[in-house]
Amino acid sequence: MPDRFDMLHLVGLLVVAGGLLLLVLTPQPEAGAMHGGRLDRAMEKQMLARARTDFLKQTYAPVVDLTASGEYAAALLKLKELGREYPGEPHGDILRGEILLAQQAWQPATASFVRGVKGNGDYVDAKSPLSRYESISRVVDEGLRQVGAQVKQHPDNSSLQETMRDLYYLQSRLAGGCE
Amino acid sequence: MPTLDRHFWLVIVASLALGIAGVGLAVAGNPENSGICISCFLENSAGALGLHDNARMQYLRPEIIGFVLGAVLSAGLFREFNSRGGSAPLVRLLAGIFLMIGCGVFIGCPIKLFLRLTAGDLTSLAGLAGLVAGVWIGLRGLAAGIHFGRAEKQRGSGWWIPCLGVALLLFYLFRPGFLLFSTSGSAAQHAPMLLSLGAGLLLGMLAQRSRFCITGSIRDSFLMRGRTPLLWGLLVFVVVAVGFNLFSGQFRLGMYGQPGAHLQHFWSFAGMALVGWLSVLIGGCPFRQLIKAGEGDADAGLVVIGMVIGGGLVQAWGLTATAAGVPFYGKVATLVGFLFLLTNSLLWRDRTS
Repeated sequence: MPDRFDMLHLVGLLVVAGGLLLLVLTPQPEAGAMHGGRLDRAMEKQMLARARTDFLKQTYAPVVDLTASGEYAAALLKLKELGREYPGEPHGDILRGEILLAQQAWQPATASFVRGVKGNGDYVDAKSPLSRYESISRVVDEGLRQVGAQVKQHPDNSSLQETMRDLYYLQSRLAGGCE
Repeated sequence: MPTLDRHFWLVIVASLALGIAGVGLAVAGNPENSGICISCFLENSAGALGLHDNARMQYLRPEIIGFVLGAVLSAGLFREFNSRGGSAPLVRLLAGIFLMIGCGVFIGCPIKLFLRLTAGDLTSLAGLAGLVAGVWIGLRGLAAGIHFGRAEKQRGSGWWIPCLGVALLLFYLFRPGFLLFSTSGSAAQHAPMLLSLGAGLLLGMLAQRSRFCITGSIRDSFLMRGRTPLLWGLLVFVVVAVGFNLFSGQFRLGMYGQPGAHLQHFWSFAGMALVGWLSVLIGGCPFRQLIKAGEGDADAGLVVIGMVIGGGLVQAWGLTATAAGVPFYGKVATLVGFLFLLTNSLLWRDRTS
């Protein structure tokens, strides 16, 4: 049989549980401010991600334009200039990879894509606004065919083997998985 | 051959369901070869709770909630809920952290090891060898007298992990502002909510009834050979998963370019050896710990809490392997895990018998 001590605790439990329920279910004037500001971290993160994407697209637009018009040397020069301003930015590596790919320079293109993907995995996500899934797939498919054939001819060439490792890395990232 | 009793068929049904759900959830939207992966899911869930800041690994996985609540339902329904605990709590909490380190270095838990293998990923063979070796070493340790002490009936302890499961389910359904959900990366890939939760609940119930456990299957195979139903269960799981992977076009035999895999075989071996060894000493693989926690086992509950903390740490400290390989601190952490195991093996050995 519950004694007075138990009863007091049971009543306390019911009162606190009821209070908690009331607190959660009643809209609080300050909760809205907190939800829209400090506490809604998910939305804040999404806004930051979108702002970053827009910033990258805007900043690197001249490089994209130069590449589209076939002025690869000028595009690489512009990338170098931006690289001084934003060192280590993976977007620059990805764009360099695309330019080198357009110039059929498979090995440096692969290395550049690897640096970019290691810096930001969004480039291998098919659904990401930054996605470069198609161009990275192309470099992997063509690279494995071309570099693979060269490795068979020169099995001791460490530079070719390095490129093969890079290609396998990209292939694995394109395949997805949880990481 | 094992006795073809009710327990045998329960194990077979649980294994069948695990094989179907393991591949099926990946087909339905979960990351490749990760239809079910306790370590990946716990890393995702830790991220959703704000325990790490990898923006590509934040999602409160309903499967994990389902496993625990399914086990609670089943244990309650069949009067097997037993609130107990008190066996080396801190050691178990730390073991949970090291389980996640071992899984992170391999990229996946023992269930995912088999899912990777059945999808044709040959890099997982090194992990399989490590897991078997770890279980064998753990068994030798048990035979030599290592024991973390007897659990006692504790009226209050066993309810808290089920309560945490309910709280996480409410979080998942009502999405308070402090939760984080990835919009890109593997955590943004997930099967539909009801399917994930339903599969989790069903597997939780079946695993609770059958006591299915990956490392337990290997352990019992060493002890009882073909007489253990768990070995047959593991075989059914493998056959079903291979069949489903072939049928759904997810089977790609090879060593290179596999999803969520790396080529540092020694570290794959070491990561899974750590997991196998730890699992034998604490009485079950990461999946089994979740199920036991749902049955009221507070010791397993502490392992689960340790795994959640570990899920945050491996991501926040960059200990997990990627397709590029195992990071330096991941290797260091794995070796520290073996130091932890060896030290505890010395400290907890009963030399009187």
